[in-house]
Amino acid sequence: MNMLEAQKLHKSYGNKFNRQEVLKGIDIQVEKGEFVGIMGPSGSGKTTLLNVLSSIDRVSQGTIKIEGKEFTRMKDKQLAEFRKHHLGFIFQDYNLLDTLTVKENIMLPLTVKKVSKDKAQQLYKSIVNELGIADIGDKYPNEISGGQKQRTSAARAFVHQPSIIFADEPTGALDSKAASNLLNKLSDLNEKLEATIVMVTHDPLAASYCSRVVFIKDGQIFTHLNKGQEDRQSFFNDIIKTQGVLGGVQYEY
Amino acid sequence: MSINQLIFRNLRKNIRNYYLYVFALIFSVALYFAFVTLQYDPSMDEVEGGIKGAAAIRVGSILLIAIVTVFLIYANNLFIKRRSKEIGLLQLVGLTKGKIFQILSIENIMLYFGSMLIGIFLGFSSSKLIMMILIKILGVEETAVLRFSLEALIQTVIVFAGIYVVILLMNAIFIKRQRIISLFNRTSSREGKRRRVSIIEMIVGIIGLALIGLGYYLSTRLFGGEFMMMEQLFIVMVIILASVIIGSYLFYKGSVSFIFNLIRKKNAGYLTVNKVLSLSSIMFRMKSNSFLLTVITTISALAIGLLSLTYISYYSIEKNADSNIVHHFSIPNLEHAAQFTEALDEEQIEYTRTEIDLLNVNADISEIAGGLEDLNLKDEDLLAPMVVIPESFAEDIDLAENETLFVNNNHALQAFMSFKETGKITLAGKNNTVELNFIGLKDKNVLPMRLTNGGLPVAVVDDAVYQHLAKDAEASIQGEFSIHVGIDINDEREVKKADSIFQERGISEWAGHESRIEYVQLQKQILGIGLFVVGFLGVAFLITSGCILYFKQMDESEEEKGSYTILRKLGFTKEDLLNGIKVKQMINFGIPLLLGLCHSYFAVKSGWFFFGTELWTPMIIVMVLYTLLYSIFGMLSVLYSKRVISESL
Repeated sequence: MNMLEAQKLHKSYGNKFNRQEVLKGIDIQVEKGEFVGIMGPSGSGKTTLLNVLSSIDRVSQGTIKIEGKEFTRMKDKQLAEFRKHHLGFIFQDYNLLDTLTVKENIMLPLTVKKVSKDKAQQLYKSIVNELGIADIGDKYPNEISGGQKQRTSAARAFVHQPSIIFADEPTGALDSKAASNLLNKLSDLNEKLEATIVMVTHDPLAASYCSRVVFIKDGQIFTHLNKGQEDRQSFFNDIIKTQGVLGGVQYEY
Repeated sequence: MSINQLIFRNLRKNIRNYYLYVFALIFSVALYFAFVTLQYDPSMDEVEGGIKGAAAIRVGSILLIAIVTVFLIYANNLFIKRRSKEIGLLQLVGLTKGKIFQILSIENIMLYFGSMLIGIFLGFSSSKLIMMILIKILGVEETAVLRFSLEALIQTVIVFAGIYVVILLMNAIFIKRQRIISLFNRTSSREGKRRRVSIIEMIVGIIGLALIGLGYYLSTRLFGGEFMMMEQLFIVMVIILASVIIGSYLFYKGSVSFIFNLIRKKNAGYLTVNKVLSLSSIMFRMKSNSFLLTVITTISALAIGLLSLTYISYYSIEKNADSNIVHHFSIPNLEHAAQFTEALDEEQIEYTRTEIDLLNVNADISEIAGGLEDLNLKDEDLLAPMVVIPESFAEDIDLAENETLFVNNNHALQAFMSFKETGKITLAGKNNTVELNFIGLKDKNVLPMRLTNGGLPVAVVDDAVYQHLAKDAEASIQGEFSIHVGIDINDEREVKKADSIFQERGISEWAGHESRIEYVQLQKQILGIGLFVVGFLGVAFLITSGCILYFKQMDESEEEKGSYTILRKLGFTKEDLLNGIKVKQMINFGIPLLLGLCHSYFAVKSGWFFFGTELWTPMIIVMVLYTLLYSIFGMLSVLYSKRVISESL
């Protein structure tokens, strides 16, 4: 079953005379329980695609369905409602609220959904145990490490059991150990909870944790890579090769 | 791009951002200029008429300078911090600090003196309006003329140029201290500290509340009879002021975050959007803002208190007149009274005449007088001559032969000397003394205050007892007046006409001959100028404190923009966020206002009776008006946040 289904996505910025087309007719499907990576060089439209898919930005043309519901023509208020029930987010710069404790941050989506308090506590406990951050619940974001912050952010994305989770460069600001730790947790959750994850990344290593990687170039889909039965190492090599073909630059930082 | 172009572009961009700053600047200049123009206006001389109007206005203008200076410096500091990124960028591209300072100064000069010109123009054109308001308040018949005063212009320019120099200095210091890297970090570093609500904070908060409570308690006792001596009163007043101000400071420092923290703890992590935006964000800013909030609270309390008291006195003029001068005209002389009534007859003005004989009797009231113990008075000091009148003169009083009742009760006197409910008093004639049962005070005025031995109450006795006392009267203590003739004009509309007769015939020139309408006019002039000055200062207080809070909130919403983005991504709608912001602003603006209202209520309550006879109506009018004007700034902040929220996703 397709969790996310997008057809002929077009997105352009600017005015009539100076139009910059960022997405040029992208079709993408994500099945339930899939962990999809989106890769591509800078300026290829990865982040725009993610923003559009996650309803934060509007498309110029095309349709996007999540769990069979189309939201491209919804009003702002309905969109907010939609996000609250169906989507979870993880960002590169964590996007935690500085004034709230870790626990309060994680429970935010539950209060948006108006989940009952007991249920909320229960959901909170199970997710923080899963991610190993149960002991920092009363700390503020500025008192914890980057890796802990990103796990908090992940916990917040997963806690309300959304239909699909969007991650924008989640490992971008982490050191390699914290990054692999987080990615392991993400793929664990992906398997255990059958959570659907769409992740934008530069990092071939991060992408190698995915079950499928979509490559984008200049606003169009360049190719797909399926992990299938391969192990992570050979998948990683495949990704590196594809990247080599994709653009002159292999590592962008 | 040349430096000049840079300056112009910056300026164009900034005016849109700083419109409130510009507005506040224009407003302050206009207010000050109008004020000073008034001070130099020749037509004021007549208004002043020996009531020190100019002095009042001068004191007002000095206070105004103080408020405006503090306000402008604060606003400037806030704005230069907001532009720290821009300054950093200019430094990065290689401009020297001196050059940047020059750019900022030129920009400021244009902004500042541009608004000053507009302010002076507005002040000039509104000074006539202000003059008209003043004349209306004073009840003087005078026409306002528009007059441009060069002295006022010079004074305004000098004062604001002085403030400008101070601002320049502050900017210079700010730029000198900054390094490129810290300029870029400015906005983010502010939230960097560890925030834990500790036990100490809780104790601090409780001490704060206790201090405020102590201040309030003392204020209710201030004129309750315990503190009699001037020095004592002064010390207690200082204690009250200090404990309330320090208390508010500690309250902001500790209690607010403490209380909010309790609420958060109770929610166990489950915070709704309203709480996210209000509680958590206020909690952490409250501590660093506590000084500012204390200042605003104190200023508001001061403004509301002063406004209430002056308005109480102004509002009570008519009532005071009613109780001080019981009849429209009061003439303690039969001959003059006859002269006046004849004139009234000639003019065919109908009137009612009341005549009361004045009898002074030595009264020993030591047994019923309370609150005098501390004064170390000897018994004979309490043997005061008192005016006695028979019950037949005081309508609706019926006494037994051994009873007496006091009328002409004076509120201000009562603050120092209270009477017991019942007791015995002795009235001494020349030979005999009469002992009577005192059965209480009656809130009623029978005689004008002028004729009652300086505001003492008047004893009402049974007719028979009166006859007895009258025969036995001690000649030496009889006052200069032996009779009082009160004249009431039947038709209210003719009182004015009667008053002009009263003045023309020269009756008003005799001592103790009083006309109520004349008294009211005189009082209006004296108190009106006070009300006028205090009113304008109050508005200045209000606007500056409102603006400061608004700037602060503007800054905070910019800083919280990131949070708004996150929350909107999580699925909160704009409306959700806006509701949260509304709650936040309600708390942010409401707490200082509420505390200020509370402070001023206790301040006014403790001493209002010196100012007038009516407490509630004028005080509530002042408070409601102040609250309404003040909430405009709250609404402006909500509007600003609304814009930031819409832009945040």
